[in-house]
Amino acid sequence: MHNRGTGILKSRQIVIMALIATATMVFGYSAPARAASTVTISFSQWWEPELPAGALRSIIDTFEKQNAGIKVKLVSGPYSATKAQTIAGAATGTMSDVVGLDGAWVSDLAKQGALASLDTALTRVKFPTKQLAGKIKVGTTTYMIPVVNYIYPLFTNDDLLKKAGINSAPTNRTQFAAAAKAVSGLGGNVSGWVIPLSQTNPNGIQNDIMSLVWASGGSMLKAGKPNLTGNAEVKSVLTFVKGMWDAGSITKGAFTLAEPDKVTEFTNGRAGMMIDSLSHITQIKTATPDLNFSIHALPKADAYSGKGGIPYASWGIGISKDSKYPVQAAKLLAYLMSTSVNTKLADLGHAFPGNTLSVPTWVSTDPMFKTAFTVYQSGYPANEFTGLPKAEDLMLQFDIPFQKYLSGTLTADQMLAEAQKAWLVNFKK
Amino acid sequence: MAVIAHVMKPRRKIRRTLEPFLYLSPTIALLLILMVLPVGMVIQYSFLDNVIMNEFPKFVGLENYFTVIKDPTFQIAVKNTIYFTAGSVAAHLILGLCFAILLNSQALGKYTRSIFRLIYILPWIFTVAIIAILWRMILDPVGVLNYWLIKLGFIESGVEWLASPKTALITVTVINIWAGYPFYMMSLLAGIQGISKDLFEAATVDGASWRQSFFNITLPQLKPIIISMSVLDIIWTSQQFAMVWMTTGGGPITSTQMVGIYTYQQSFGRYEFSLASTSAVLLLIVSIILSTIYGRIQSRQD
Amino acid sequence: MNKKYSLRKRKVLVILALVPGALFAGFPALWMFSNSFKNNSEIFAYPPKFISKSFSFSAYSAIFKDPEKIRYFINSYSIAAAVTILTLLVSIPAAYTFSRFDFKFKGILNGVILSLQAIPPITLMIPYFALIVKLHIYNSYQGLVLTYMVFTLPYAIIMLTGYFNTLPRDLDEAVKIDGGSAMTTLWRVLVPIAVPGIVTVGIYNFMICWNEFLFALTLTKTNEMRTVPVGIQLLMGQHAYKWNEMMAMSALGCLPILILFLFFQRFFVGGLTSGSVKN
Repeated sequence: MHNRGTGILKSRQIVIMALIATATMVFGYSAPARAASTVTISFSQWWEPELPAGALRSIIDTFEKQNAGIKVKLVSGPYSATKAQTIAGAATGTMSDVVGLDGAWVSDLAKQGALASLDTALTRVKFPTKQLAGKIKVGTTTYMIPVVNYIYPLFTNDDLLKKAGINSAPTNRTQFAAAAKAVSGLGGNVSGWVIPLSQTNPNGIQNDIMSLVWASGGSMLKAGKPNLTGNAEVKSVLTFVKGMWDAGSITKGAFTLAEPDKVTEFTNGRAGMMIDSLSHITQIKTATPDLNFSIHALPKADAYSGKGGIPYASWGIGISKDSKYPVQAAKLLAYLMSTSVNTKLADLGHAFPGNTLSVPTWVSTDPMFKTAFTVYQSGYPANEFTGLPKAEDLMLQFDIPFQKYLSGTLTADQMLAEAQKAWLVNFKK
Repeated sequence: MAVIAHVMKPRRKIRRTLEPFLYLSPTIALLLILMVLPVGMVIQYSFLDNVIMNEFPKFVGLENYFTVIKDPTFQIAVKNTIYFTAGSVAAHLILGLCFAILLNSQALGKYTRSIFRLIYILPWIFTVAIIAILWRMILDPVGVLNYWLIKLGFIESGVEWLASPKTALITVTVINIWAGYPFYMMSLLAGIQGISKDLFEAATVDGASWRQSFFNITLPQLKPIIISMSVLDIIWTSQQFAMVWMTTGGGPITSTQMVGIYTYQQSFGRYEFSLASTSAVLLLIVSIILSTIYGRIQSRQD
Repeated sequence: MNKKYSLRKRKVLVILALVPGALFAGFPALWMFSNSFKNNSEIFAYPPKFISKSFSFSAYSAIFKDPEKIRYFINSYSIAAAVTILTLLVSIPAAYTFSRFDFKFKGILNGVILSLQAIPPITLMIPYFALIVKLHIYNSYQGLVLTYMVFTLPYAIIMLTGYFNTLPRDLDEAVKIDGGSAMTTLWRVLVPIAVPGIVTVGIYNFMICWNEFLFALTLTKTNEMRTVPVGIQLLMGQHAYKWNEMMAMSALGCLPILILFLFFQRFFVGGLTSGSVKN
């Protein structure tokens, strides 16, 4: 006779489980429906997790109090995923009304037809545009306004420098290379300069490499078009970095090192110097309070004595073209850019405000911050990648030949030619 | 045994032919709406120019396909993907089989066996983000692995496992092997459990050695499962994206560039959704070929 | 050589063979647990230590105190459980059909189901996203459950077909002779015997849902709907990671699955088919 098996699950149990599963699926939690009387707009950004807990929410709460009838839903996500989500949202008409933007995305989102003109929005709410420190345009229309700007100065681990016999922070490239070499010479797991060349998020090219070009008044463009081949300033940065690479002064693993890793290396006292966002000062101080570090301007080319550009990254804001509530969205934008709120945001993140009238108070709370402010004022914000078409891809197309160059597979001229060729493709469409 | 001749009434016959489709209907419905439709759209995108970015994309026929196939980055991606997939699937199979047999061994006590099974299954339960982070930490030039290798005298200074073009591809392959072998192991374990003990008893009575019973009983019995899993694994590994992306991003230089990463970079880095769809469809064609072969093998078995 | 000695010898050999593999398999997990108890800077100490001076549960308590994070766990579990159960319910009859029946389009259907897996999910994201929005199941359990079922069904069907193929046809015949229908054969006879296979597929389904990141991120907008993998990613800001909390969250995520596995492990009892068909 055949064996019925051990009958672990009787048929009735199966049916019950199925019903439970279906019930979970059907009646499971869905996002609640909005109330009909108020208007709810959504604001997508990556800022909330980066600011102190609850800070952004309370700023928004104040907005809601001042504007009865408008509710703001914060849609927060990690920076790495926000771009992809924004694009997908734009393509399917589910983009948030107000969107946090990075300067590198603007050109492409604007071309996609996803962003609304901010000129119109600002006029609608009568915002005094003179107060705007910057406007990011594509063509003649403004699509993004930087809310706050984070500059990327040079951080130095003063304990390591002193241990290596360097008593003052380097101001030009020769000193920089010497300092890096000395620190690396300390041995163990310590290195002189840490740079992130990971291809996952290739902004190391913008913040850590090209920044050196801008710091010496150089440019990677000519009349808005790529100008890499035969560009003496860019080439001098290349040879500068390669010199340090060959001398072993750069942290190992750079080809797959990402920005957070760079910060980690520095925070844990394993790197002598790094170019990084001011926003990390608090993080570093909380993580390792006894780390002796200081802020400086980027090293300039030995022969250069003019004002230096300082790389920066913005937390920018834009409005979705398909937003059903453009007026309310504009109001939120104006609110975030208003003098007092803008100051508060800048203070929370140790950034520089996008409103020219805002005076950040954090610059006077700590001598280190004061230095940062001086550095900021002594130079000018420089980021040639903002507003360029497919900016992140430009960085990637520079990174790959750059890695080949550092490994010795290409010469500097070959590398520049390869990058130029790839860049021109992006400028064509 | 009596031979029973069936004379089926016509109604019964229709019911008979429709029966399999009845059992398949929920599957078909779900897959049709949620899979076939989007896939159809992706295929459509591959024939258009600059879709998504352009409100009115124009039809360009096979132009995108030529662009992608001629792209040197794509060619490198294909080469790496083949290496990565072949290495992973082979190792998955061998390791999975060895471990499954060891973990099925009656020589171990029940308690010991459970503990070991638990340990061996650990790689499976981690989410991709954590796998990437953990392994990057462990493989750091000044990380744990290098520390012990130096201490034990195998190497002189920390190796850039993930950051050196020479070792990156092998390293991500090993990580993938680590992350994926439990799937094989579990399935083979279940399969081995299902082999009737009578077969083994008969073999012992006949005086067969362990090796003979392995090759003549275990392997043939497991063949359907091995084939199913291998085909799935090849298809799944060839479109691998997340783990490699988060560990190396396709670098250093282009040593870990994969078709999946190429597709992602085309979509969200270059906004070339048509080209991304094209490379995705190319991958789809490969897997259709594979699954057709699989289907043939399956029906020959029946 | 008496039997007891050779059995003991075998045991030792087997354990010796298993240890290196166990190191390979288990070390990263151990490292993760170890790091979840350190504070952020200790994680990168050199030389690396297993237990650091700053041993503490603070990462774990940070997670428990955060209702949003608890919500991630609830979401992940509910969705994974629902998907697993539903997938099994749909795929078992389907696999049975592929295994036992011969019908027109069988080869094609089989091929289609299998090859649909090969489209990289990234490309599928945009059209899929549009579809989900149109069906009004964006940012909900339903959206994720149905999405995951589309991933898990093909695997489940292929795997279970393979398992059913290993079960002898004699079992079916025996039921037919007794006058049973196809469904009786399936649920009363084949399923109980195929339990190890079904449990494996079930666990695998659960795991796929539990670990899925891309669609969980895309198809959910608000934190109430998000799952654990997304929660872990949220701990990665643009600039720095909360390493210990990430490790802790991952550890917490693993524990229940490990317990589930231990529980279902007992169903891997061999030889259920022995003695089942004797004429």
